[in-house]
Formats: sequence, C-alpha cells, structure tokens
Amino acid sequence: MAYILFTLSVLLVMGFVGFSSKPSPIYGGLALTVSGVVGCVIVLNCGGGYMGLMMFLVYLGGMMVVFGYTTAMAIEEYPETWGSGLEVLGGLLVGLMMEVMLVLWVLSLNEAVVVVVGFSDTGDWVIFEGEGSGLIRGDSIGAGALYDYGRWLVVVAGWTLFVGVYVVIEIVRGN
Amino acid sequence: MTPTYMNIMLAFTISLLGMLTYRSHLVASLLCLEGMMMSLFIMTTLIASNMHFPLINIMPIILLVFAACETAVGLALLISISNTYGLDYVHNLNLLQC
Repeated sequence: MAYILFTLSVLLVMGFVGFSSKPSPIYGGLALTVSGVVGCVIVLNCGGGYMGLMMFLVYLGGMMVVFGYTTAMAIEEYPETWGSGLEVLGGLLVGLMMEVMLVLWVLSLNEAVVVVVGFSDTGDWVIFEGEGSGLIRGDSIGAGALYDYGRWLVVVAGWTLFVGVYVVIEIVRGN
Repeated sequence: MTPTYMNIMLAFTISLLGMLTYRSHLVASLLCLEGMMMSLFIMTTLIASNMHFPLINIMPIILLVFAACETAVGLALLISISNTYGLDYVHNLNLLQC
C-alpha cells in the first residue's frame, strides 16, 4: 500500500491520545508502549532499520521497563482505565474525533469525490530502492559518524549518563 | 506540509498538552514527557531518511541519551515523593501553599 505511512501516523496519534487523556499511569504506559511500536514501524517503513531497532531497544526495552516498575511502586488499589470516568473518556473521544476530522480534511484536499482515491500527495513517501544492493544503509552510516565527527559529543554524553547515576542515587537517598 | 509530518507534530502537541495538565498522578505527566521525546525522535529520523542526509541521524541518538537521563532524574524525584507521601498524588505537593 502506498498510503500505509499515513495510516500508521494516524494510529500513532491515536495512541498518543490514549495516554494524554491521563488514565491511571499503568494504562498510560501500555498506550505509550503501543505508540512506540507503531512509531518504530513508521521509522522502519522509511528505510531506517538501525534507528527503529535502537528505539525498540533503548526506549521500549529500557525506559518503559523502568517506568513500569516505578509505576508499580506508586500505584493505587483501583487504577482508573479509559472507560471508568467521564474525564478520561471525554478526553479520549475528543482526541479521536479531532484525528478523524483531520483524516477527512486530508482526504478532501485532492478534489476527489470517492474516499478511496485520495492520497496523491503521499506518493513521495514510497521508497524507491534504486540505489543498488542496499549494503550501505544510510542510518547506520549516520550513527557511525557519531563516533567520528562527534567524538567529543560521545564523551560528554557518556559522562552525563555516568553523573546521572550519581544524581539519581543522591536524590533517592533522601534524609 | 505532508500529512504524515502533520500527524507527528500533532502527536507532539497532544503530549505537550497532556504534560501541562495535571489530574491526580505525577507519573502521568512524566509519561507525556516521554511521548514528546519519542515524537521528536520519530520526526528527526524521518527527516534524515527522506532528505537522504544521514548525518542528521546523530541528533535522534543524542536526544535519546539525554531523554534517558531526564527520565532517570524524573523517576528518582517520583520515588522520593512516593517515599515521603505514600503515593504520587499532585495535591500532596503543597509545601509552598499556593
């Protein structure tokens, strides 16, 4: 399908509405994980295999796991889900209605009467793989350039992470 | 503006609105902050792939590194709040009394 990327971006917005309507944080973490999966598939569709898998590894595998454990420590006995209260459900429905109206507006831009034939401006999102065997992937080369042109940036980022661990220990120590 | 870019920027704005409004939990706002970082990552990676400019790929990686630091500090603050008050309800944070 030539318009899978637009569909995936619509699903991404719906996932973001799912945790921005503020249910209990355990359900928000679930919506963020699903949005992360959809976002990774978007990145993969544009030929970014390295960046997509790095997002899976670092973001979903690292940060979401930490979020899940922390939320399990700080949660109440009856977490409220999307259908258990008017505020969360109202926020979710408003967000979904807004996204549906955006999709209809995008479809109406091409002077086409039928709904199916409306995606002429997403043609530039189709990947034209005419550049040979694809052995040299652009995103891997770009990430490798981080260790070449950005040597000092790597050192600074690594030192930041190292000091961050000590900051976290000092904050949690309390007293 | 291509509809896919519009959707990703809309996702960023929705997360921003979600972060700025409190309901009862503090960790829900931290989740919305994570959503903002993720939408920025996706946006810059798509720009790098579609403009055939691989060197931009440095930026999402470094963004992810500093977002991880930010998450760690935010969760540490959450843990210290949860140790003091039992839960991370926002109406517990009333030391300033305003």
